[in-house]
Amino acid sequence: MNGWILAATVTLGGGVGATVWGVATGPLGRRVVAQNLCTAFACPALLLLSQGSDRPSYVDLALVLALLGPVGTLVFARLLAEELAEDPPSAWGLTYAAAAVGAVVVLAVCVTVGPSRAMAKLLVVGVLLIGGNLVASRALSGGFPELRRG
Amino acid sequence: MADAVIVVALLLVAVSATAAVAVRDPVRQALVLAVLGVVLAVLFTVLQAPDVALSQLAVGSALTPLLLLLAVHKVKRRGRKEGRHR
Repeated sequence: MNGWILAATVTLGGGVGATVWGVATGPLGRRVVAQNLCTAFACPALLLLSQGSDRPSYVDLALVLALLGPVGTLVFARLLAEELAEDPPSAWGLTYAAAAVGAVVVLAVCVTVGPSRAMAKLLVVGVLLIGGNLVASRALSGGFPELRRG
Repeated sequence: MADAVIVVALLLVAVSATAAVAVRDPVRQALVLAVLGVVLAVLFTVLQAPDVALSQLAVGSALTPLLLLLAVHKVKRRGRKEGRHR
């Protein structure tokens, strides 16, 4: 077991574990936020796993997750718009914390990989992850009023 | 020690799957199912099956919750319409 796998285990146990607990209990707003954060923590964990087990092809999984996770959250934001309108869930502190974790992991893996095509792919994953999460959080907290009318 | 990550992923799957069964409201169930899909994909990756994880991600994180929520919406709307007719 090397440091990368250990870091992935910590991210999984701490981050994803907390979101599983958050999505299983509490009001609807908290559950939606937890679902959004679940992708934000699972994607860095996948990147760390790919680096730790020395399999660059696992980065594809993180790429797909970074792409589809925010899409799933937007589905919830669109179809639960009525229920969420009374009490828009906003957890910007947690969102920025998750984005920071993602950025740190992507940068750490990038530094290890060194300048190459793999590094460009990692940067794309990072941008998709952080951008997608910010957009999804904004949609959940009612940042796009045209979403509500639909 | 090397299997710690597998144990953590298995525990996460067990907890979220139990939660998906225990939650009664279909909308909240869809949310737990989305998380379960992601956690399952992580488990498959840890067990060295990235191709399975890929399809699990595509289906579990976006498609299943979408189908569930659309079905809930349709049933609710039909219920409202029939209530008006009566």
